[in-house]
Amino acid sequence: MKILHQIEYKPAKVVGGYTDRILRVDLGKPEITIQKLPPDFKNKYIGGRGYALKLIWDGTTRETHYDSPENILVMSSGPLGNEPAFPGTGKFIVGTISPLTDTFIDSNIGGHFGPILKRAGFDALAVSGVSKQDVVILIDGDARTIAIAAAPAYDKETDEGALSFGERLLKEVNDGELNDSMAAVTAGKGACNARFGIVNSLFFDVRRKRLRSKQAGRGGTGTVMRYKGLRGIVVRSNLSKVNANNAIDKEGVRQAGSKLKAVVSKCDTQQLHLSTWGTTGLSEYMDKFHLFPINNYQYGQSPESPKLFAQVFLEKYFDKKIPDGCYYGCNLACAKGAENVKLTRGPKAGRVVNIDGPEYETVGAVSSMGIFDPHFVMEYNWYCDEYGLDTISTGVTISFFMECVQRGFLTAADTGYELAFGNIEAADRLLHEIASGTGFGKIVGQGVARGKKWVAERHATRNGTSQDAVMAELNKFGMEIKGLEFSMYITKESLAQQGGYGFALKGPQHDEAWLIFIDQVHKELPTLEHKANALKWFPLIRTWFNATGLCKLPWIDVRNPEAASTAEPSKNIPTLEYYVAYLNATTGSNKTLQDVLDDSERLYILQKLINLRHGKGTRASDQIPQRAIGPAYFNEYEARAEYYDEWLQQQLGDKLVPASPEQRHKLLMEKRAEAYQNLCDIVYEKKGFASDGIPRRETVEKFGLMDEQAKQLLSRLGV
Amino acid sequence: MAASIKFLGMQRTVTKTDSIDMPITEKTRVNDALEYVRQRYPELPLEEGMVLVTVNLEIAAPDRILRDRDTISFLPLIAGG
Repeated sequence: MKILHQIEYKPAKVVGGYTDRILRVDLGKPEITIQKLPPDFKNKYIGGRGYALKLIWDGTTRETHYDSPENILVMSSGPLGNEPAFPGTGKFIVGTISPLTDTFIDSNIGGHFGPILKRAGFDALAVSGVSKQDVVILIDGDARTIAIAAAPAYDKETDEGALSFGERLLKEVNDGELNDSMAAVTAGKGACNARFGIVNSLFFDVRRKRLRSKQAGRGGTGTVMRYKGLRGIVVRSNLSKVNANNAIDKEGVRQAGSKLKAVVSKCDTQQLHLSTWGTTGLSEYMDKFHLFPINNYQYGQSPESPKLFAQVFLEKYFDKKIPDGCYYGCNLACAKGAENVKLTRGPKAGRVVNIDGPEYETVGAVSSMGIFDPHFVMEYNWYCDEYGLDTISTGVTISFFMECVQRGFLTAADTGYELAFGNIEAADRLLHEIASGTGFGKIVGQGVARGKKWVAERHATRNGTSQDAVMAELNKFGMEIKGLEFSMYITKESLAQQGGYGFALKGPQHDEAWLIFIDQVHKELPTLEHKANALKWFPLIRTWFNATGLCKLPWIDVRNPEAASTAEPSKNIPTLEYYVAYLNATTGSNKTLQDVLDDSERLYILQKLINLRHGKGTRASDQIPQRAIGPAYFNEYEARAEYYDEWLQQQLGDKLVPASPEQRHKLLMEKRAEAYQNLCDIVYEKKGFASDGIPRRETVEKFGLMDEQAKQLLSRLGV
Repeated sequence: MAASIKFLGMQRTVTKTDSIDMPITEKTRVNDALEYVRQRYPELPLEEGMVLVTVNLEIAAPDRILRDRDTISFLPLIAGG
């Protein structure tokens, strides 16, 4: 490999979960520097998402877009990542200015990269600049070198694939062998051609004896990576994984970890069975409660859904005998995978591959296209990973265009072929076109927000109607907010989850607030006040997980039996106490759960400021498609008329509901839109925002964020 | 009179059926249904605090009286991905 630039360094020791170092790589110059952090940096910004937010806030401006040279691609774990004594500590986040939302995005990702990066001496990696040629970054904590090298050229097929290229790259830098002292992140050719490119995290699984992959799927982080000319990053460290965080109180870490592992071990097998079938188990429960997206979220249930339930994947594809944690020590072990699956479609038909997944979201992306073929789910999963495409945004965008055809906004003349719900061949063809940036895929690869504009212009021109009128119609069913496509849950029947998606700072991704079952099924949020409190509390605690290098699932998807006797069981406070104990034992702090929430709120407000800077932070940006609020079209209303009529009657009290179904549908949508606006008002008040969704000055000052940039921003906004 | 008990997810693997019918009287409660299933399928984990009981897709209290053709399910405590 041709080294273009290299430095030698002495890896900083991890103490209390931190190295207090950020590795900064400017690909434009090229330049490699190591930034030593002042002591209060970690206290204020924690790690992970917090570090990414602070670097983006300071290092970019309102004019920075995804393809601006100064845009920064940040990868950071957090103080609690990198500890096998505690479950779920392999997470790191990838943060940047998004090609989809044009504001801050981050996506969390499992595997070994974050922990090894820390053991190699860095709490975070920040890549800026755009390289003149395709490069890779090699961070070798053992050889004590950091290098920018020309991306090796293997063969076309390998070079275009994120998984294939990553495997060859790792082998090349390690004399042809794979082992678990190394990990890589890569982005494939799809990330060059679509705005929703992903970053793959590749790690060696000693049990399966092969490379496995996890994905930072949301918001186009891989697109930024490829735009910078960065094909891959390899990290290496042979330092021991045991006590790798050099915790201040090692016994405290062990005790907290033992308690959580005991809960996971006892309860998962009685609850969601994530250790057996991963997140695919959700499909059945979502379908049962009309939450499973069918035909671009028109319907939440289908007689064909059982073809995509977990048992199908377990029997046909998953290897049942192997614990599948994406990092050491996680006994939830939900990262399921399949060996030796033969591809039957696409350019690699006939090839036998290993597939990591599918997750529930990928299954939902396929059902959203009206497809119920489990083998297609497997192939779609593999191709998206290999190409470097987000399975969610890919599926939701294809679904949107399918509905444009269904409703007559597009014809086969526009798309090049029949693009109908349930048409596997068309969906498959479009997937490959998106990856290669050819044919209709070139349009679809821009995502739903830009797709709406393209359709509106085309349809209006052809029919002599106004673009605004067409756009108003497309806004009913174009499932995006702030430019990001929805993740795979239907919100029509849960006002709290409408807010969970609408207020989510990055756009409608459920890692900020997933309240759908708590609200719709468990009925734990009966009033606007309850919903608003949840919409403040859950995003804060979930932010903390993304700042510390932790997976949320051992907390949120394994209910501690002791939670049943608490005031709000869904918060699972008894388990959260283990996390706070783990934090204090690792870092030597003495924090309470409220301290943790306060730390998170600082990050939340900082992210809000970045959104405001980029024009995505006001009430207008929190508005959601009509389909997210209720049945946008009459066919959707008809499918659940009994439920909707009952809801409408509750709203009207003693008044009679209108006689005709069409009138009931119209009134229903008006009432639901009104309810969402009422929710906005109360949630903004809880969060310390004015009714326009902008934080009050005192809210920004409370968290020590009123720097010169914030002052100017708020002044410009009239605050 | 009878109520239907539906099995979901891994419960189906244990019981090897989608559902069973349970004869009920005017005094049969949700708790009785739980006990009925526990006796028929002792290997099925239905510990208190581990599952939610729903009747006709609504969360149901243990002392709720069952009615003819009610559908009972045992749900895991799903709180988000």
